[in-house]
Amino acid sequence: MPSGGKKKRKKPSRKKSDIDSALDQIGDESVAAATAEFQDLVSEAKGDTTELIRQNAEEVERRLDLLKKREIDKEDFDHFLENQKRDLRVFIDAQPAQAQERAEKLTLHILETAAKVAIALI
Amino acid sequence: MNSTLVSRNVFLCAAAILIASCGTATFTKSGSDATIESLRSFHLAFIDEFAVPGKKFNATAFNAKVNEGNAKFQEAIANDKFTARRPVFVDLKAQFDADAAHIKSKASRGKVTPALASEMKKDVNKTYDHALGR
Repeated sequence: MPSGGKKKRKKPSRKKSDIDSALDQIGDESVAAATAEFQDLVSEAKGDTTELIRQNAEEVERRLDLLKKREIDKEDFDHFLENQKRDLRVFIDAQPAQAQERAEKLTLHILETAAKVAIALI
Repeated sequence: MNSTLVSRNVFLCAAAILIASCGTATFTKSGSDATIESLRSFHLAFIDEFAVPGKKFNATAFNAKVNEGNAKFQEAIANDKFTARRPVFVDLKAQFDADAAHIKSKASRGKVTPALASEMKKDVNKTYDHALGR
């Protein structure tokens, strides 16, 4: 169980991906804050023991990368976010009450933050 | 002696009913699984046919295929014997509706990319796997 307190959480170390490097370049302060939050959440989700949480984080990161490379556009990206949300709601509802908040943070909240980050990438 | 015999017969009948009902439930679920696999094949083929980069959008063919899909999903929702699965079929139809709307919007403007089709199919496979409890 995660502690509710701040912060000093040691992030799981991982190699910087292309999308991380692109996100690091973002200058605008509000977007930079969302980007930092996104990177933190993805990092935490990728270290989670639940496969679906890890997959969701990897998927949204891959799609941000496709968006950055113009292989999909913002409409496509939003469509995929909605698909992921629809799929995740069933998973979250099936979690025990005490695990729902964390599951929601590491799934739906990542997607909401990704939507803000995506605007900066296009 | 008689009461023992009656008890034994009652027990055997109950066991037979339980075994038969389990068999029916398994049969019903496997039929439902087959329906889900059939809908998955249709959904993937739909993407392969219409989410093709550079292909001219044929509204008549598209609408006909959407109507065919709607009929298949409605039939699955109405006829599935494994009633616990009904909400799952409703969710799968929602996914089909969303994909059809997105493909129409993109293909009619010639904005389909290879990555779009590929990612759509990944989502479809994931959704149907989850529907099957995998």
